[in-house]
Amino acid sequence: MAEEVRKKPAPPDPDSARFKLGAIIEKHYREVHEAKARGEKIGWCASNFPQEIFQTLGVKVCYPENQAAAIAARGAGQKLCEIAESEGYSNDICAYARISLAYTRVKDVPEQNMPLPDFLLCCNNICNCMIKWYENLAEDLDIPLILIDIPFNTGYEPGPDQIAYVKAQFMDAISQLERITGTTWSEDRFREVMDISNRSSRAWLEATGYTRYKPSPLSGFDLLNHMAVAVCARGTVEAAEAFETLVKEYKEAVEKGTSTFRAEEKHRFMFEGIACWPHLRTTFSALKNRGMNMVATIYADAFGQVYQDLDGLIRGYCSVPNAVNLEKARDTRIGIVRKTGAEGLLVHTNRSCKLWSGFMQEMSKQIGESCDIPVVSFDGDQADPRNFSAAQYETRVQGLAELMEARKKGE
Amino acid sequence: MTNQEILSVLAEAAGNPKKQLHHHLSQGRKVVALAPVYAPEELIHSQGFVPMGAWGADLELQEAKAFFPAFICSITQSIVELGIRGAYEGIHAMVIPTLCDSLKVLTQNWKHAVPSIPLIVTSYPQNRGIPAAQDYLKSGFVQISEKLEELGGTPFSEEALAKSIDLYNRHRKAMRELSSTLGKHPRISARQRSDIFKSAHFMRKEDHLELVEGLIEGLSDQESGGLPHRKEDGPASRTRVITTGILADHPRLLNILDETGFHLVADDLAHESRQYRTDAPTGGAPLDALVERFCKQQHCSVLFDPGKGRASYLADLATRENARGVIYFMTKFCDPEEFDLVPVKRNCDAAGIPFLSIEVDRQMSNFSQARTALETFKEMIEQRRM
Repeated sequence: MAEEVRKKPAPPDPDSARFKLGAIIEKHYREVHEAKARGEKIGWCASNFPQEIFQTLGVKVCYPENQAAAIAARGAGQKLCEIAESEGYSNDICAYARISLAYTRVKDVPEQNMPLPDFLLCCNNICNCMIKWYENLAEDLDIPLILIDIPFNTGYEPGPDQIAYVKAQFMDAISQLERITGTTWSEDRFREVMDISNRSSRAWLEATGYTRYKPSPLSGFDLLNHMAVAVCARGTVEAAEAFETLVKEYKEAVEKGTSTFRAEEKHRFMFEGIACWPHLRTTFSALKNRGMNMVATIYADAFGQVYQDLDGLIRGYCSVPNAVNLEKARDTRIGIVRKTGAEGLLVHTNRSCKLWSGFMQEMSKQIGESCDIPVVSFDGDQADPRNFSAAQYETRVQGLAELMEARKKGE
Repeated sequence: MTNQEILSVLAEAAGNPKKQLHHHLSQGRKVVALAPVYAPEELIHSQGFVPMGAWGADLELQEAKAFFPAFICSITQSIVELGIRGAYEGIHAMVIPTLCDSLKVLTQNWKHAVPSIPLIVTSYPQNRGIPAAQDYLKSGFVQISEKLEELGGTPFSEEALAKSIDLYNRHRKAMRELSSTLGKHPRISARQRSDIFKSAHFMRKEDHLELVEGLIEGLSDQESGGLPHRKEDGPASRTRVITTGILADHPRLLNILDETGFHLVADDLAHESRQYRTDAPTGGAPLDALVERFCKQQHCSVLFDPGKGRASYLADLATRENARGVIYFMTKFCDPEEFDLVPVKRNCDAAGIPFLSIEVDRQMSNFSQARTALETFKEMIEQRRM
């Protein structure tokens, strides 16, 4: 077991990336509450809906997926899931959706409150479950639902016909949102938002790329927390600046040889899937105790869109991880494994996410063979604590550690 | 043919898809398999293929487990299981739409699990009300047509497609008429009703249409159509219900519906009547008609339904058909159906329509819970009558 270096927590440095990122999240929720209080129309938004639309219009939204993750991480996932189940929802449904649908019933969850929406912005590039979830929200709350439908890419790249279809919906969504909120589209502001979003995304991707250093200057689990900003604020200057600060800190850490991973980095691995938010401490501790640092994950990169123009923007949203075929998804991950020098792959078979987990067995097998690394999976859930066994997880992680160790010894 | 003879032919086809496949192949026909839920069947037909439905089978999953986690719907898993076991040998391609996450997953696993049978993906737009959706779908159909030609089909022909559309429209009309006729014939069992609909997936539409038209005629001629009386209670005491869901074709389940005394007067099953609700318009360019047909389809769990029109559609259907209850066959691990269940139930409750949900899947072996639930449901409905 690695010796943990325990230090007294330092007071928060307002110039640190961590402080800035935390402040952005706090401001994000505060602003949407304030907008609601002022009588502005506010929305709930899918995590990979093109944020450039409402940023340009100056409309405030918040994210049910982020809220559900926060509620689950703070221990109220099961309570909310059970409320949804008492309404008739199957416990096989995505736990984020169950938490969100339950929230519209109880309307007050101290673990993470959000104002109720006046409209919904849905995009199914991460899964079609989003459509059904948002249909039900719209029905329950009797509010308009704007959908940008991004079909699953069965080819390696999105074709021109798909780009044209999504672009038309992008323009249609702008008109709908203008009508709902009484705002007006500005091309100048749109270009500005695109510039800021690109700046944020470049900085975010550069920061996440620091895991390629050996040892990594960061604990990969940090990214799971910082990622919320990439989701909800990457069209803001504050997010761009905070990620640039993060890059600066990682650069300095590499020079100094320090890391936020508070253990000796014995093994470097890729984590596949969404975090088990209700069991974050358990899942992290089992890894840290064995000196296993997560240096690679597709999850973090999912929210870094870099593009040159509107077509590029559309192409980016058509190419998010869950929207692409097995071969493209596999090759992207193989690239990440090679870039970061990951020595093993730990797969979260996430009960909540059929699309992410549904062809993962075949894909992770191919990644393991191509990169010549061991692959181990465990059963879990992103927000329902009942779908996780700590004992199984511990055993699987131990197995992966032993496999990576054996390879190092040339066994 | 007598009604009984027609029903026997349809039952034989429904129960033996492999025999049907071999029959088509032995006739020198090319066959393309169609996974749920919708496929451009007319296009496939017009290019010289026999489209055959592939909605999985009730079997124990073994090989498919190497590809799927347990929580993916067993319809999709059993399609791969059958593919690996060689049940589709001889077909030219498997057509899979990406209308839900499990079907998306199926497309990817199919390529690696059954590499010998080419995959054709149909990518349907969900935002079906905007013109760009029609352009996108048309472009997808053109690509499918090209692929079909590569696989040995005849080149695309507007004339051939128009003929196929005409045939399929006539078949859809006949199936709607048949469903309506069956609502007046309680002696046709749930099992027989299912066989009629299921066999449509395996037979050539030309042949199926002829039998269905014969059955409609035979049933309209006589009250009981020369069918044997059921040994259970008389038709008058049967309880009129409608069914909804993805599919409900397990013989044991259907037998329980019969034994419990239900009369299925209409359905909203994806496997059955949802296939026949919408016709392709005639008169214009046939490919556009095919596009329009899809874009006009509504009230289906795998299609974007922002106003939850399915819930009110079902309540209206129950009222129109004088049904005394709605049975929701909930396919386990089917997200779209699981989400729809809640608003559908709420709407039925609000309309005072008795509602029952029964979980089903392709791995079902114990039916005692379903029997108890159906018996209780029947009693509950009957008590309301008193």
